[in-house]
Amino acid sequence: MFGIQIAMSGAVKEQFENYAVEGFFDEAFSREESKCRPMYDGAVKYFSGLSDERMKSSLRSLERTFLKQGVTFTVYSDGQGTERIFPFDPFPRIIPADEWSMIDRGLRQRIKALNLFLKDIYSDRRILKEKIMPEELVKTSKHNRSELAGVKLPHDTYIHICGTDLIRDNDGRYCVLEDNGRCPSGVSYMLENRLAMKRTFPDLYRQLNVERVADYPRELLRMLRSVSPRQQDTPVCVLLTPGQYNSAYFEHTFLAQQMGIEIVEGRDLIVENERVYMHTTRGLVQVDVIYRRIDDDFLDPRFFRRDSTLGVPDLVKAYRAGNVTLVNAIGTGVADDKATYAYVPDMIRFYLSEEPILPNIETFLGSRPDELTYMIENMANLVVKAVDEAGGYGMLIGPAATSEEVADFREKVKSNPRGYIAQPVISLSRHPTFCDGDLEGRHIDLRPFVLTGEDTVVVPGGLTRVALRKGSLVVNSSQGGGSKDTWVLRETAAPTEA
Amino acid sequence: MLSRVAENLYWMSRSIERADNLARLVMAHKNELLDATSALRGEFAWHPLLEVTSMGDENSSEDVVTYMVSSKDNPDSIINCIQLARENARAVRDQISEEMWLELNALWLDLKQIPETDTDRHSKICDMAIRSALQFRGIENSSLPRTDVWAFVQLGEYLERADKTSRIVDLPHFLPTHEVAAAWNTMLRACSATAEHRHRYGGEVDAASASTLLLFSTTFPRSVRFCVRMIDELLHQISGTSAGEYLNEAERATGALLARLNFSGVEEIGSMGLHEYVDSIQVDLNRIGYEIMERYFLLRKDAPPASAEDYVNSRMQAQASMQQQQQQQ
Repeated sequence: MFGIQIAMSGAVKEQFENYAVEGFFDEAFSREESKCRPMYDGAVKYFSGLSDERMKSSLRSLERTFLKQGVTFTVYSDGQGTERIFPFDPFPRIIPADEWSMIDRGLRQRIKALNLFLKDIYSDRRILKEKIMPEELVKTSKHNRSELAGVKLPHDTYIHICGTDLIRDNDGRYCVLEDNGRCPSGVSYMLENRLAMKRTFPDLYRQLNVERVADYPRELLRMLRSVSPRQQDTPVCVLLTPGQYNSAYFEHTFLAQQMGIEIVEGRDLIVENERVYMHTTRGLVQVDVIYRRIDDDFLDPRFFRRDSTLGVPDLVKAYRAGNVTLVNAIGTGVADDKATYAYVPDMIRFYLSEEPILPNIETFLGSRPDELTYMIENMANLVVKAVDEAGGYGMLIGPAATSEEVADFREKVKSNPRGYIAQPVISLSRHPTFCDGDLEGRHIDLRPFVLTGEDTVVVPGGLTRVALRKGSLVVNSSQGGGSKDTWVLRETAAPTEA
Repeated sequence: MLSRVAENLYWMSRSIERADNLARLVMAHKNELLDATSALRGEFAWHPLLEVTSMGDENSSEDVVTYMVSSKDNPDSIINCIQLARENARAVRDQISEEMWLELNALWLDLKQIPETDTDRHSKICDMAIRSALQFRGIENSSLPRTDVWAFVQLGEYLERADKTSRIVDLPHFLPTHEVAAAWNTMLRACSATAEHRHRYGGEVDAASASTLLLFSTTFPRSVRFCVRMIDELLHQISGTSAGEYLNEAERATGALLARLNFSGVEEIGSMGLHEYVDSIQVDLNRIGYEIMERYFLLRKDAPPASAEDYVNSRMQAQASMQQQQQQQ
């Protein structure tokens, strides 16, 4: 694993001249004539005009910035719990204003429908009664929390923080790959990437007139306060972390620090009279909003997993009584179920009477008999995913798998059809990336962040993840993925130099 | 401030202070041994340090220096103290200054670079611990706002230092009679007090002058009295009580000890004997540590532990069992 590639085989200018689109949808160059797309014009000119020395020293300064800041995640598979830097590529992904405005509208539409859906299935269950969605599917979802039905939430928001994964297909169409509605992570990388890019390439950044992402922590805090159950000037908001051995602990401290709120562990909190308090050196202080980075299962050992050492006994009681708001709410995992995903376009039509702006990827459900048959018969050409896994685990990429792996998955699907879905292999769009000492195309996706409390805020930008291994379609950091900064361009022209 | 945060700050600070004092003691004793007579050579040469620091482990197969400096099995070894300091600092990274974290992190990474086979390994570890502790205090002094964060960091520093200085003063008790005179030099050196002693008393080092300086000086920053006065001030700063009054048991116990040190120190040594006197000071210091824990760190659902030590042990066990679930998330 590496941080930033500093070795280079040739001059940057030559690297651009030799760059090949290779028949993929490329973000920066058109397929037909390998012509630079207009929004990339400035960046391509800028990078190819850099001397070798300048490029190398820029890359070194980027690497130093990340190391010093400790922008790391922890890998436990080697038994050592090694802290590593998240690999970063300096070539920014650029999105023009009109494209972004479509994404923005699409994300707002989707989060609205998802929140209406969650409210519905935990109260009236209209969507099930009207047979838009099979009741069985919701009932059997692993993360369904029907025992908490009827809890009233501020502004009826369930998914306060959403990290929807978008991809672009072979024709450059933006599609939704997943709705991460539980505890999406990665936002600290978006912010740190931006800081590092501004420090290293200030002239390019200024020239392109890029939308700000730095307001995220402030917007997040505003959202947290807006969902407080207690009406007072400054509600007490905290970030609940599993603790310092968690792989995303850096992000937890980063966000808490940026917002100026306490970062707490389960043992710092206590529930009395259905209210949550934190232990401080000056006694107990009541807590109104908990931004929790712990899964439902671990939240309350008296309600969920008894062996949880990370949670707070009776937290669910306080939640039910409406004395504390959990962000995200309990039970949002139903909407994250990959089988539920297939019904989101129907939800949009049902709740909003609108057509989806951002399409889904064609999805076959194991729970539908005819689609199950199709899945079984065509498995070698499909991507098959377990409905409740994330992070690139529990999936099969048919064309890349051995016949044993396919056979093995076929058995898994047959014995638990509800537990699997399949999708055609989508060739994700590619982006020029500095790797292995050269400029090459690598597959990417995009995770924008959507905040919903009293209103909805879509941060103009997001985390662009890159599959750094040549040919790989898996962008997850746990599987050799890296990231890029994402630059959304402003509508107006760049200010001219005075 | 969260109780857990206060506790992490306090233990971060105590651990780095403990590593620092141990390293000083090891280096000073090592120096003294070069001149020692046969009675203090060979396998028993280092045992007085085990006695003085209450780290005795008769069953350890490691040699005493390794046990004190780099043993993984000794929870109070210098290496383990530094690791504990770093873990506590990591848990409160958002509260301390970035430079404080970087200093501890760098020390921890540097220590791992020294090969096990290096014959000079122990001295290197000690030198690095001493230098880094000084830097850490300097950074702390110039970068931390004077809030409760500062107060709990300082509290850990002065309580640990008072305890270690009092133990160092007790060193002669564990030495053969004819080595006692030399021990006073070791003590002064371990407390960086050689120069101050020379300024104040001229060349002669004896029991009365050395112990007076290390126990009762109002100006020397490693003397027990100086440290206890700081603890007293810090506790009052945290609770907002005016000087001379007390609001809780920690403040009362500290005020009582400070009065003892202020008004009856030398006479008490005369009537009790130095070893017994120092022993009683340590009992008082432990009591203060226990009361601070009970007042500021203990959570309501926790039953009060029998001693501060039991409390720390149970905390460490709980931490280990939580580690796995934290990783799963």
